[in-house]
Amino acid sequence: MEYKNKEIKEGINLHMIQTNNFKTNLLSVFLTTPLLRETVTKEALIGSVIRRGSKNMPSTEQISKNLEEMYGASFDCGIEKIGDNHVLKFYLEAINDEFLPQEENILKKAIDTLLEIVFEPLSENGEFKQEYVKTEKENLKQIIEGKIDNKAKYAQDRCIEEMYKDKPYGLYKFGYVEDLEKITSKELYEYYKKMLKECKIDIFISGKIDTTKTKQIIETNETITNIQGRKILINKGQNLENVKNPEIIEEKLEVTQGKLVLGLNIENTNLDEKYIAMVYNTILGGGANSKLFQNVREKASLAYTAGSSYIRQKDNIIIRCGIEIANYSKALEIIKKQIEDMKKGEFTQKDLDNAKQNIISAIKFIPDEQDTQITYYFGQVIAGSEVSLEEYIKRIERITKEQIIELAKKVNINIIYFLTQK
Amino acid sequence: MQVIENLKVKEKAYIEKLENGLTIIVIPKQDTQKKYAIFGTNFGSIDNNFVVPGNTKPTKIPDGVAHFLEHKLFEQENGTNSLDVLSALGVDANAYTTNDHTAYLFEATDNFNEALDELMNYVQNPYFTDENVEKEKGIIGQEINMYEDEPSWQVYMNAMKLMYKENPINVDIAGTIESISKINKETLYEVYNTFYNLSNMLLVVCGDFVPEEIIKEIKNRITKNDTQIEIQRIYPNEQEEIVKKEETKIMEVNNPIFEIGFKDKLCEKKDMVKKHIAIEIILYMLLGKSSKTYKKLYEQGDIMSQPDLDYEFSKQYAHVLISGIARNPQNVVKELKTAIEEYKKCGLNEEDFNRIKKKIYGDYITEYNDVSNIARMFLADYFKGINSFDYLEEYSQVSLQYANQILKDVFKEEKMVVSIVKGA
Repeated sequence: MEYKNKEIKEGINLHMIQTNNFKTNLLSVFLTTPLLRETVTKEALIGSVIRRGSKNMPSTEQISKNLEEMYGASFDCGIEKIGDNHVLKFYLEAINDEFLPQEENILKKAIDTLLEIVFEPLSENGEFKQEYVKTEKENLKQIIEGKIDNKAKYAQDRCIEEMYKDKPYGLYKFGYVEDLEKITSKELYEYYKKMLKECKIDIFISGKIDTTKTKQIIETNETITNIQGRKILINKGQNLENVKNPEIIEEKLEVTQGKLVLGLNIENTNLDEKYIAMVYNTILGGGANSKLFQNVREKASLAYTAGSSYIRQKDNIIIRCGIEIANYSKALEIIKKQIEDMKKGEFTQKDLDNAKQNIISAIKFIPDEQDTQITYYFGQVIAGSEVSLEEYIKRIERITKEQIIELAKKVNINIIYFLTQK
Repeated sequence: MQVIENLKVKEKAYIEKLENGLTIIVIPKQDTQKKYAIFGTNFGSIDNNFVVPGNTKPTKIPDGVAHFLEHKLFEQENGTNSLDVLSALGVDANAYTTNDHTAYLFEATDNFNEALDELMNYVQNPYFTDENVEKEKGIIGQEINMYEDEPSWQVYMNAMKLMYKENPINVDIAGTIESISKINKETLYEVYNTFYNLSNMLLVVCGDFVPEEIIKEIKNRITKNDTQIEIQRIYPNEQEEIVKKEETKIMEVNNPIFEIGFKDKLCEKKDMVKKHIAIEIILYMLLGKSSKTYKKLYEQGDIMSQPDLDYEFSKQYAHVLISGIARNPQNVVKELKTAIEEYKKCGLNEEDFNRIKKKIYGDYITEYNDVSNIARMFLADYFKGINSFDYLEEYSQVSLQYANQILKDVFKEEKMVVSIVKGA
């Protein structure tokens, strides 16, 4: 596997990953903007409107037919918060020319198709097609209101929202119904044109590709020739401070199982400490060997899901457990004890070795997972670092128990969120 | 050893059946670092009534035993839990139970042989005690409750109940809190000794392996001394008709979800793959993103994404499933019925058929992107009596005429059920 990153124009980068491990080529375009209340809803809506039609493929039906003709190429788009940035992600996956039943050049077709969908959406009289915007506003409204439908995910989202009240990271990535209603197709189109002039653009191409030829396809693409360079700024944002007494929030919905979510904060961390925090999180709640899994699930038999995840950009750890409602205090007490034990260094060298081994394995899996690969390199771009997989592994390997204990002392419970029965 | 090669996807499978009955499949993949092993038994939630070899009377077990056993097999006599041991080796380990099989697996980059030691050791050596069985009831109880809160699982289970009167596929794989309360270590041993016989099992590995060498490694790790047995499984006689047309469950959700099913007859083994391919093509022609019906439903605001389109089948059941989110699921049902009738009357459109067929080809090739997906696919297909390469081999035999016939045979209104979950 070989990774190359090349600036095509200022603020626009082409990332190529040459690999023989897949039957498909995966292409993606990421558009990154600062996460703001004023624009978050518009950006979510743009993601939906764009897939409705482009200059030469004016309907979903046309786009789909073209993709099907390319042996079932698939187009997908998503929206994500990465730190205080909002990222619109567009993907196109197509089988590599080598596996087609007859000789064809699908790669060029695939690249041109994706770039057309993203950069040349269908417009009528200087605005998005009104009918499309109207339907997509309705759909997005349904998505926003459907937030409560998956209760476990909802509890996690709510915990983060409460933790980052009135701050960018607390925004819902799909936006807000009250903002949605006001958006017109003209305003939306103008915003998108502006966004395309100003946002950070990253194009990824992964697969069994000839990098020289691929680069040429991109550079001679009409859309790319016409687009201007731009000064960009990756929004670093501000992280939280530890609070003295955790805020306790209880919410009631129709649930059978209680969902307990704790939002932890790690104050003032530098780049090196992020690696330590990863190992810390793995010991605390990363997998079957973790303290949470062992103590909440295996020993106390209180839960089926019990674990935690680390949000690297914001230095938060989110603990989640699905429990019997009556067991709230019991579970909370066990969780708190695990956090305290981490501070006291009550974990073994073996726990530490296991945790490192787990993280290292996950890193070694990256070359065999096409989308994870792209996510990894994009994560590096956003973090402003260029750490290779080998270097990443080395940084994890050298972490010591003392470093974990030092970090553990900075870990604080900022919020306790419980979703319970009505 | 049998070697089969597929020239379209450019992969090979090596199949070896050992004297003790165990079947091994190796799919070598050069260039990848990831290695995957999966050890499965042809025993799932629907196998709840059987004759223990040597007995004369059948044994009926409580709902949820296959899944319960899957949880407990990790427990070892020396006090360790194999999931912990595997995690400590830095491999990603897991297990799952379906309607027709149970599987134990891990994926690794380093320590593959050590992990294989552990996997093959724990699957061959159960250790059940009254105490460890009791403890698991709390954990599985919470797993059952978690599914209670998941609308998509509820809508699926209700669709099964609408289609099947007797077949145990109409019961949750995990059972109920009540049914698992009846499970004890004796139940688990009895089931283990019956279904975890090597002749009922399969081990698939995928990754950068030399087939002969890895087969030798596997052979060296077999400690069970099984005599091959014939398990007599008893399944209830399932009627061809559905049980009930429709069911709506109220849950606290904003967006209604639906699951439409078509109960199908069991298919002869030789036709299974061809039929499956034809049904996939028909489903995409009916409701795929390029279809007329999808366009209409989307523009009316009834659906906001393409429904999931599936054909689920084993030796004991077969049905089509169409599931998704809809503002008004009844409109989806109505439009779907119209589309089916129109295709039945005028025949499937040839141009669309050929285009969708191309799409399906790409989908099959894409399945070979990932070692874990390849191994799981070969395992699941094997227990249905299928070799996964057959999909690429039989693809070209699916004609428009054949698809028209399948459309008439399978998509019948009297076999259609509609399950809905919506808000109050």
